[in-house]
Amino acid sequence: MTRVGVLDSSNLTGGQRLAVKYFTVALVLFGAQILFGLLAGLQYLKPDFLYGVLDFNVNRMVHINAMVVWMLYGFLGSVYWLMEDEAQHPVVGLKLGEIAFWVLTLAVTVVVLVYLFVQYGPGDIKTIWFINEGREYIEAPRWADIGIVVVVLVFYFNVLATFIKGRFTGIGGVIVLDLFALAGLYLAGMFFTPNISIDQYWWWWVIHLWVEATWEVLVGAIMAWGLMKTLGVSRRIVQTWLYIEVALMFGSGILGLGHHYFWIGTPDYWFEIGGFFSALEPIPLVAMVVHSLYDAGKHHMKSSNHPALAWLIAHAFGNFLGAGVWGFMHTLPQINLYTHGTQWTPSHGHLAFFGAYATINIAFFYLAAQQWRGNVYMGAGIAGAWRWKWALTLLSVGVLGMTMALLIAGYEQSFIERAINGSTWAGYFEAQNHPWFQQAMWWRQIFGWVTAAGYLLLVWDLLAIGAGETRTATRVGHESEEAEAGAEAAPATA
Amino acid sequence: MEDCDGMLQPVELQDFFITFFSAAMVILFGALYAMLFAWGRLHNRPRLVWWGYAAYAGLVAAVLTLADATHLTGLWTWLVVAMLVGYLVAPHAIWHLCQGTHAGMEDEEAAAGQGRASPVHPAQR
Ligand code: HEM
Ligand code: HEM
Ligand SMILES: [Fe+2]
Repeated sequence: MTRVGVLDSSNLTGGQRLAVKYFTVALVLFGAQILFGLLAGLQYLKPDFLYGVLDFNVNRMVHINAMVVWMLYGFLGSVYWLMEDEAQHPVVGLKLGEIAFWVLTLAVTVVVLVYLFVQYGPGDIKTIWFINEGREYIEAPRWADIGIVVVVLVFYFNVLATFIKGRFTGIGGVIVLDLFALAGLYLAGMFFTPNISIDQYWWWWVIHLWVEATWEVLVGAIMAWGLMKTLGVSRRIVQTWLYIEVALMFGSGILGLGHHYFWIGTPDYWFEIGGFFSALEPIPLVAMVVHSLYDAGKHHMKSSNHPALAWLIAHAFGNFLGAGVWGFMHTLPQINLYTHGTQWTPSHGHLAFFGAYATINIAFFYLAAQQWRGNVYMGAGIAGAWRWKWALTLLSVGVLGMTMALLIAGYEQSFIERAINGSTWAGYFEAQNHPWFQQAMWWRQIFGWVTAAGYLLLVWDLLAIGAGETRTATRVGHESEEAEAGAEAAPATA
Repeated sequence: MEDCDGMLQPVELQDFFITFFSAAMVILFGALYAMLFAWGRLHNRPRLVWWGYAAYAGLVAAVLTLADATHLTGLWTWLVVAMLVGYLVAPHAIWHLCQGTHAGMEDEEAAAGQGRASPVHPAQR
């Protein structure tokens, strides 16, 4: 029985019920990310704020680890969400998947508590096992790493078995192969070596080959499914695009890894390899933005879920701007020599992570909210539409504002600290004390609050959207059924 | 950076801005060209396609400016070539592929007896 407009789990399939659990934790951790980002930002302005209680390094660590974990939760949720529909088969081994979710969530909680209350330990192997591994973004201690691997194996079993028992589509195939690479790469960040160059060499396999190869391909597949669902674009079209994007993404992104091997003690040939391939990485991102605009335009933006579609379009643009434009601006070694180690990098990091990955996860939160309330109407003229529009605006303006502030700071640093003063200690402080830098840090904080306001509105909206609505979702059929679907749909009251 | 045996000649201080700016313009012109090309072809408006090529000309100018500022000589010339060729042909190649899939889809639909409102724009046939 579907009850439209009421939040009722009987509106969801088994896989979807597990997906909303993942989404819920993701949303909470997104909040934690923002909170600790604000604390770390404040410490740039007031260095003794929370000094000795929650130092900058702790806040920064929680900020970016929460980000990686909430995004992974979002991806796992999204895959559970679309898996049954795509494979036309219920999730195989769902019970095991449920257990894995609880184990993972318990582990994450313990890790966060240890981060906050133990914080760090002596430089020995016990610390690596039980407190923190000390590799940026994936600092989880080794016991948790092993737990994560086990949980991911269960998840992988769910995915693989479901597609095998059901049907293998192009999207399904890409997801299965890509998740294998994604999980395998995680292992590269787990072993210990006392040589910092070697350590960084492997650590980048995880970080770069995640965000610029395997995550990109995963969201490409998720996006393809999302466009079919929200716009009714045909499978043939989205899958053709998906294959092109996968080829271009892996073709440039894998060796693009070299742009992190300029200055860490790796051989000189990485200058050419890294420069060449990473400079080509924006091409698939250009293709993606054209693709989604083209499809949205062709369907006259007529979609079954306006907020989700808006966030999918934000994803295409954000990925293009944050990764494509901002990435390319500092990727050639001839200029990276000066931007490396300045606020240029966080400028790119904030826009790219938000633009490429926060956005598409939020789109799926909206798909989930819609179905959870009985596939409720979410077209034009939905009650309280200002909320999702303002949440989107505030979050985007907030992150763009932070990005611009950091860009100015980074530009100033690359001049004064890196170029003029040759990366000396004195140059570092001269750059930090420059008015441009100081003001930029204030602007970053102000736009951080804007971002936080957008987050709060987003949470409110996700809880409230569709409540009391009685119409069901507009049907978006196959392209050739468009006219028919339009006639059936409840009239919009815009 | 003199120790990099000539493989790498860093950007001059006065060229920082032009480097960032031309790099951004490469990508933006690349997107503009792809978009105008796709729209023009799709809606059978050759004028738009020509504007697309104008955007590509902008891309060429941006690539050359960037190449000058970042000293892309020697081996690095290949990067300039790859960008110029890659951005030029990508929209063409994608277009052909898309047209192929759309055409295939039309056949399938006709076979299924539901080929009424064809998803393929008249201009494409
Ligand atoms: C969605 C995709 C991307 C995300 C999420 C992303 C994110 C990031 C982050 C967070 C860093 C900082 C890492 C650190 O802590 O040191 C970084 C570094 C970097 N990114 Fe990206 N990036 C993406 C795509 C790209 C692309 C496509 C390019 C090039 C065209 C690029 C070029 C770079 C470069 C050159 C650095 C190194 C900066 C330095 O250390 O000097 N990124 N990226
Ligand atoms: C809400 C306001 C936010 C504030 C005030 C904030 C602040 C900060 C600060 C102070 C750092 C440390 C920078 C440093 O080491 O110098 C940081 C790092 C980072 N933040 Fe945020 N952040 C916020 C939101 C976000 C969001 C929404 C994302 C992405 C979805 C994000 C992604 C990152 C990343 C990837 C890094 C590491 C960057 C690097 O090392 O290059 N932050 N943030
Ligand atoms: Fe990278």
